[in-house]
Amino acid sequence: MRFSLGSRAGRCTAILVAAVLTGGIGEPGSGIQLELRPRVCTLAANESQCSTTVHANWHSPREESLCLVILGRSDVKRCWEHYSQGTYSIELVFSDDLLFELKDSRLDTVLASEALRIIREAIRYRHRRRDPWNIFQ
Amino acid sequence: MRSATIPTGMWKLLIACVLTAAATAGAAPATSVDDCNAALPDCVVVGKWNFSLALGAGVRTNPLVHGQDLPLLVVPQFSYYGKRFYIDNLDAGFTALENGKNTLSLIASPGYDRIFFYRSDLQNIFVNIAAATVGTNPNPVPFPSRSRPITYLAGPEWTFNDHGIIGQLDVLREVTGHNHGEEVRTAVQFPVRISADAFSATIGLTWQSAAIVNYYYGAPRVYESGSALRPFLKLGYTRPLGRGWRFEVITQYEHLASAIADSPIVAHNYVVTSFLGFVNAF
Repeated sequence: MRFSLGSRAGRCTAILVAAVLTGGIGEPGSGIQLELRPRVCTLAANESQCSTTVHANWHSPREESLCLVILGRSDVKRCWEHYSQGTYSIELVFSDDLLFELKDSRLDTVLASEALRIIREAIRYRHRRRDPWNIFQ
Repeated sequence: MRSATIPTGMWKLLIACVLTAAATAGAAPATSVDDCNAALPDCVVVGKWNFSLALGAGVRTNPLVHGQDLPLLVVPQFSYYGKRFYIDNLDAGFTALENGKNTLSLIASPGYDRIFFYRSDLQNIFVNIAAATVGTNPNPVPFPSRSRPITYLAGPEWTFNDHGIIGQLDVLREVTGHNHGEEVRTAVQFPVRISADAFSATIGLTWQSAAIVNYYYGAPRVYESGSALRPFLKLGYTRPLGRGWRFEVITQYEHLASAIADSPIVAHNYVVTSFLGFVNAF
């Protein structure tokens, strides 16, 4: 009997945990997917900034009211009211990683986030030619 | 001395040695990353063009009869360094082997003396782009007028840098088919640094075969000479000023051997180059 009760309690616990992890209990903001394109910007050795058009795409299993913001960039903000998906394209110039966040309409809670990363090509150095025969060296 | 030349076999052997060194080094970069970084003034970024502009006052004397001196007011310089290939103003090179002290390259460099005959020679343009009036050089003696097309010399170059002492040795052969001459360029620079100011003294020697000397200064049945030695002494002073600017003073005295100075079209047995001005690298 005790074995039977324990087995049932364990099964319930497992179902509850799975529901929370998968967002199956249907709370607002759960199950939202945010995708960025591109996800990486590669800088050549002689470049200091990325300049590109970023496409952000989100979708949710249910209608949401939320805003897309970029951490540290208060000038970028796009909001949706009662939508289950949205897209936003913006031209950006940046020199450090950018963190895109989907927040609730009061901007209190982060519902999903995705980073746009910068990869810098390794700068290689070599010796300058030594040319004392030249008048200006 | 009159008919001295560099044997073709020896020159080809030197080329082969450099190429063998390059092959032995394989695909490895010419310089290990560890011994070069942004903090060292001797180092440059691979894959980036470098430009500098000097503004000031200076002159390079012209040893030719009635040759007008060349004013030095604006001096542009440029360079590009790939992993092995490089462009250094009008010189181009392929670095076969390099470590912290020694560099072995194959280079191509224009014939120098043409600058005295043609104001429009690129070596003059990249020394001075300011407008200047240079007349023709009327010859006081019967000397056949002829053109002296641009020549390029190529061959191995060895340089070293040990405790700030910089040395250079080029063994070059004319490869553009105009005179088939040979030239050896060598120089050693001794630095003296006092706080941020840097003084340097350079002694050098250029040897030119008879073919090159006669290409510029000779004429069949009028004046035919042998090979020539041209020693020089150069003094330099540099003071960094910040924001990419530096103050620079350079003066060089080059002595022309009698093989050149005795030519009917040469009036002086020396070339003096002096420049005082500000240089900005950007």
